[in-house]
Amino acid sequence: MHSMSQIHRRFQPGRLFSIVALAAVAMLGTACLTQGTSPTLEERAQEIGRSLMCPVCPGETIEQSQAELAKQMRAIVREKLASGETRQEVLDFFVDRYNEDVLAAPPKSGFNLVAWGIPVLGIAAAMATLALVLRGMRRNTIGVSVAKEGATVEADLEPYLARVDLELERVLRGDDGAPGGVPPSA
Amino acid sequence: MAETGTIALYLALVLSVYGAFGSVLGRLRSSPQLLDSARYAVYMVPMILAVATFSLVMSFLRHDFRVEYVAAHSNLAMNPEYTWVAIYAGNAGSLLYIAFTLSLMVAIMVALAPKAITHSLPYTITILMAIVTFFIGVMVALANPFDTLSFTPPDGQGINPLLTHPGMFIHPPLLMTGLAAVSIPFAIAVGSLISGRSPDGWVDVGRVWALVVWAMLGTGVLLGAWWAYTILGWGGYWAWDPIENVALMPWLALTASVHSLMVQKRRGMFRMWNIVLVNIAFTLSLFGIFINRGGPVPSVHSFGASTLGWVFLGFLGVSVLFSFGVFAFRYNSMRSAASLDSMLSREAAFLVNNLLLLGVAFVTLWGVVFPLISQMFRGVTVTVAAPFYNQVNGPLLLALIFLMGVGPLLPWRHATATTLRRAIQTPGIVAIVTVGLLLAAGISKPFALVAFGLCAFVVAGIVREWVHGTLVRHRRGENYLAAFGGLIAANRPRYGGYVAHLAIVVLALGVAGSSFYGTQRDIIMGPGDEETVGKYTIRFEGVRTETRADRIEFFNDVTVSQDGGEVMGMTAWRAFYPDLRMAATRAAIRSTPVEDLYIVSSESLEDGRVAFRILVNPLVWWMWLAGPLLLLGTLVALWPQRSLAGSPASTGRADGNIAAAPFGPD
Repeated sequence: MHSMSQIHRRFQPGRLFSIVALAAVAMLGTACLTQGTSPTLEERAQEIGRSLMCPVCPGETIEQSQAELAKQMRAIVREKLASGETRQEVLDFFVDRYNEDVLAAPPKSGFNLVAWGIPVLGIAAAMATLALVLRGMRRNTIGVSVAKEGATVEADLEPYLARVDLELERVLRGDDGAPGGVPPSA
Repeated sequence: MAETGTIALYLALVLSVYGAFGSVLGRLRSSPQLLDSARYAVYMVPMILAVATFSLVMSFLRHDFRVEYVAAHSNLAMNPEYTWVAIYAGNAGSLLYIAFTLSLMVAIMVALAPKAITHSLPYTITILMAIVTFFIGVMVALANPFDTLSFTPPDGQGINPLLTHPGMFIHPPLLMTGLAAVSIPFAIAVGSLISGRSPDGWVDVGRVWALVVWAMLGTGVLLGAWWAYTILGWGGYWAWDPIENVALMPWLALTASVHSLMVQKRRGMFRMWNIVLVNIAFTLSLFGIFINRGGPVPSVHSFGASTLGWVFLGFLGVSVLFSFGVFAFRYNSMRSAASLDSMLSREAAFLVNNLLLLGVAFVTLWGVVFPLISQMFRGVTVTVAAPFYNQVNGPLLLALIFLMGVGPLLPWRHATATTLRRAIQTPGIVAIVTVGLLLAAGISKPFALVAFGLCAFVVAGIVREWVHGTLVRHRRGENYLAAFGGLIAANRPRYGGYVAHLAIVVLALGVAGSSFYGTQRDIIMGPGDEETVGKYTIRFEGVRTETRADRIEFFNDVTVSQDGGEVMGMTAWRAFYPDLRMAATRAAIRSTPVEDLYIVSSESLEDGRVAFRILVNPLVWWMWLAGPLLLLGTLVALWPQRSLAGSPASTGRADGNIAAAPFGPD
């Protein structure tokens, strides 16, 4: 992946910038999380309520639905949590009673791993393909010069880059000497 | 009137078939007369379908319950203004509505078609008229809204009360027309491909229609969210329900398309990719109509369910095969005029944006079909609902917002490290400062922080562009207002795009605020009782009832005080429809930019007490700005520029964004 590292070298300042930003967010976030309070019983109950479908109302969770059954199920969730059962135990209880489709999302196990795995694999494959395609397109354009050192590439491209900067400036200005536009500066 | 309607349908069917065949034969035989007459057929179809629609309206207004459709979707008690909603409340009527509006849009497209697509227009017309023929044909053969009963019932069954909401006047029509009209950019692209002339000729007009349909679908989805929020009474606006998903998917593909088409317009690149994108959008829209019209997936929105879905599935199959055929046939005509100069350029950013948008669409599609797959392979039904989409699509959407901030700041062709750093420095600092301030204010959920930080990043980037551009022009002697106007006029697609980006930001704000920091409580109160929810104290004053012809209405009055001060009255409305054994609610919502207080009365108990659900939803107010902003952005982007003639794309050189953009009369 020689040419990829070339490209990365050119990315440096931008990449550094985003790393700093991400690190800042991550550090501050985790710092806060650790001192944050754990969720209350009601918050946990509502989260579970949003993970369980109401068996008699198509497309609604028990937290959404106003049906009698949903109301009873909400009460059972709170009872069970209050008596010390874990989230998984509560979910299992309802799966035993109403089958697997009572869960709002398939569990991450067994055949259902396909549901979660395919999107991840699909997007990873698409990204890899895109990277290869882009690399191919780029190699065709710049050809041999890319294979040289990063600094050389910069030097080779200097006139073009200058032009690009000029272009950017013109775009921002939004005139580009179009007829009827702003008179060019003296 | 019913007979008039049926006759009109048959007439429209004949004309649309004629338009389809006449157009392609006229092109192949180079017969201008045949082409003209086919075009007149295109103009005639919407007129005749207007007659059919009018006779359906009249049947409703006259309470002609001999007509099966009228009996099934209205009754004597229905307000006449809901006739408009009743027309598309069922399958047959919505097909008529779709056929009418689609044919109307096709006629407008044909009438306004620019010279650039003269060679491909006949093929485009043939494709579109084939689609119109399909809709009319299904109606005539399987779901005629003018079918009559053998007797005349004294009263009809009435309209679904959930549909009697102002949002229903615009939301379903926009979505139905929008879904059907994805065929217009599709037909423009494929028509151009068949004709095999200039590969970029279709781009301008195709982009215009893609944007129009994109705005229709986007507004339709947002109105649907608003409808759900105010009427469904669970305090949410989006549930990743299959019907919602199928409207979202073509919108996502079109979003990718309107971005990617800009690259072809400017640089003559991505020719093949753009054709693929409109094909995907079209296929997804047909899939949407299939799921809507009686597909195999359960949904809360199954208002007009039937088994017609399979006919649509067949049509979808045929369309996909046709597109593949054309694609294979013209594979060689789609080579790019330019190639990618750098991984760090707007072109590359657009490609990554396309990938992410299609990724979200793919995940959503996968979620819709996975229950069927599980049923097929395991015989076990599973549900794929919000938790799945939130976990899988959530990170992708955040990445999209990040890209929305960076992409537009990158120049075409190639960015240097310096230009990139200069571009993202200010927005980056603004984002980090925002996150810091939010942390200080006690916002500590990491995903929420990332979301808000990214929103700040995008807004700062856009504002910086606007301010910088305006200042540059101002320094050259324009006053600030003229400078700003001139800036936008100089490159409308770009600045319209920024406005649309702002729409997405306010949407993200609302979604992040309400999903990470929304609170909800169910309480039961008798008259005179008081409860405290967060900083609000809510006192139930009592209930007023009113009996109407078809329903009993309950007005549950509450007074709310905030932090002890400022008292105000709110009324949570609920109605019971004895005949339909259905209840409908209308939440009392006090909306401020900070948060919504949302009170819905879910049940009236026998002892006079009332069950309330009370939600505090932060930042939802902002979400409803997204619709107007989206339309404004589209308008700015589409506002005609005087000289877009010629083909800037075909030059493929660095002709800038704005070469062909003389200023309007400003």
